[in-house]
Amino acid sequence: MINIFLEDDNINVKVPKDKSLRYVATKTGASMEFGCRVGDCLTCIAKVKSGMQYLNDKNEKEIRALEILASDVSGLRLMCQCSVKADEGEIVISYGF
Amino acid sequence: MLGEITKVTESVNFIGAFDPQIRTFDIIMKTANGSSYNSYLVRGSEGVAVMDTVKKEFSEDFFNALERLCEYDEIKYIVLHHLEPDHSGALIELMEKAPNAELIISGRAVMMLKGLIKRDIPFEVANTGKIISLGDKTIEFLSTPFLHWPDTMSSYLHEDKILFSGDVFGSHYYDERLFDDKVGDFSYAFKYYYDHIMRPFKQYVRQALKLYAQFDIDIIAPLHGPILRSNPQYYLDKYAQWSSEEKFRKHEFGQKMISVFYMSSYDNTQEMAKKIMEGADLVEGVVASMYDLASLDERNMIDLLEESDAIIVGSPTINGDAVKPAWDLLSCMAYLESGGKIGASFGSYGWTGEAPEMLHDRMRWLKFRLPVSPLKIKLIPTDEELKACVLFGQEVAEITMGKMVEMEI
Repeated sequence: MINIFLEDDNINVKVPKDKSLRYVATKTGASMEFGCRVGDCLTCIAKVKSGMQYLNDKNEKEIRALEILASDVSGLRLMCQCSVKADEGEIVISYGF
Repeated sequence: MLGEITKVTESVNFIGAFDPQIRTFDIIMKTANGSSYNSYLVRGSEGVAVMDTVKKEFSEDFFNALERLCEYDEIKYIVLHHLEPDHSGALIELMEKAPNAELIISGRAVMMLKGLIKRDIPFEVANTGKIISLGDKTIEFLSTPFLHWPDTMSSYLHEDKILFSGDVFGSHYYDERLFDDKVGDFSYAFKYYYDHIMRPFKQYVRQALKLYAQFDIDIIAPLHGPILRSNPQYYLDKYAQWSSEEKFRKHEFGQKMISVFYMSSYDNTQEMAKKIMEGADLVEGVVASMYDLASLDERNMIDLLEESDAIIVGSPTINGDAVKPAWDLLSCMAYLESGGKIGASFGSYGWTGEAPEMLHDRMRWLKFRLPVSPLKIKLIPTDEELKACVLFGQEVAEITMGKMVEMEI
């Protein structure tokens, strides 16, 4: 289980490997906003404050979408494209950054 | 005979179109005397910029005005502050007529452009700080997303001190005299427009106002209704006042507000509501109240929802559904910011008991935080079940006051 702290909602949740952040949002009732859910609309952009290495790598679609939005995208992810790839660790996420 | 083209300044002209016949805008908004699709032409020493277009049906008015002011090969830039079809309706025709013009849109507009135009066209993305030049005219862009679409941006014409604000500061109000100091009283339309279009995005209004504050603004040129030149600060202040994040209860008494809304057939859901309110009220810093949805007007629903930090909705289950006033209540969230509010649901039931789950799901889609599972009780609550209602209200209140939620999924 990995520990995810959803900073804006003050939720600390233990999550098994391979679960998506959409699943985490649904199960915790977090206020993370989703739009298209396929990586187009950028609604679910969030800052991964720590633990980026415990998430899946960005796919090409996500890289392209983020580059349109900002020049410095380090630390930014689209939550609809993220899932947990590790068994242990700590991730801190802010979506109202 | 063609009418006179309205000058905004010596180098900026209005080339938009008037729609006095429209009575319902975007399905939800009424207008008593029509609206306008504002578009502007900016002339500099080295070319022309066209700021937005019009609804497709009004293209003829737009092109007539444009052709009286410039040649198509003079157009250096086409700026779309917002891609909704009432502003992008003449885009394709304009790009065909002015093939050398560079289209400028916001980053968030890229995918929308493809969805609307259904073909690949060249464009340039503008984020905050991007500047384009027309020789002696300088236009600076500002990212002002979600006002009221994700793609919305604004721009500032430095030399003329004009803010092109997109839909921000708009009104659905038709008056060809066009300037706020010449038209009739449009204050009701200005507020109505804010309430329906901008109110759900208050935090983004506040962000936009911060960006606007760095500029000396003589004229606000929105995409609908009067151009605001008499006292732009008045309109900026109105938006700041309406978009304030201060809640009355929190501001006046330092309390967070929890509202328990319910409907009840045989008092059972009402009994649950009383105990949930009692539990919530035990938590210091919270004031909890309950409201019978049978007697609550929509206007009051909207205001209560906006003021509440947490919303707990109760409904019996009738024919496998929550009752209509509960759905009506949640429909009011379309006028408000929902992100960050805490939600919960409950209800007594006789047969199947779907209502609390259905309300919970609806609130999830409305972006509520839903830290506790729905609470449902079969028919008349026992003493033990009423104690569970107290704990339910208390838990929601403690989370509202900042208690960390620990869970495993």
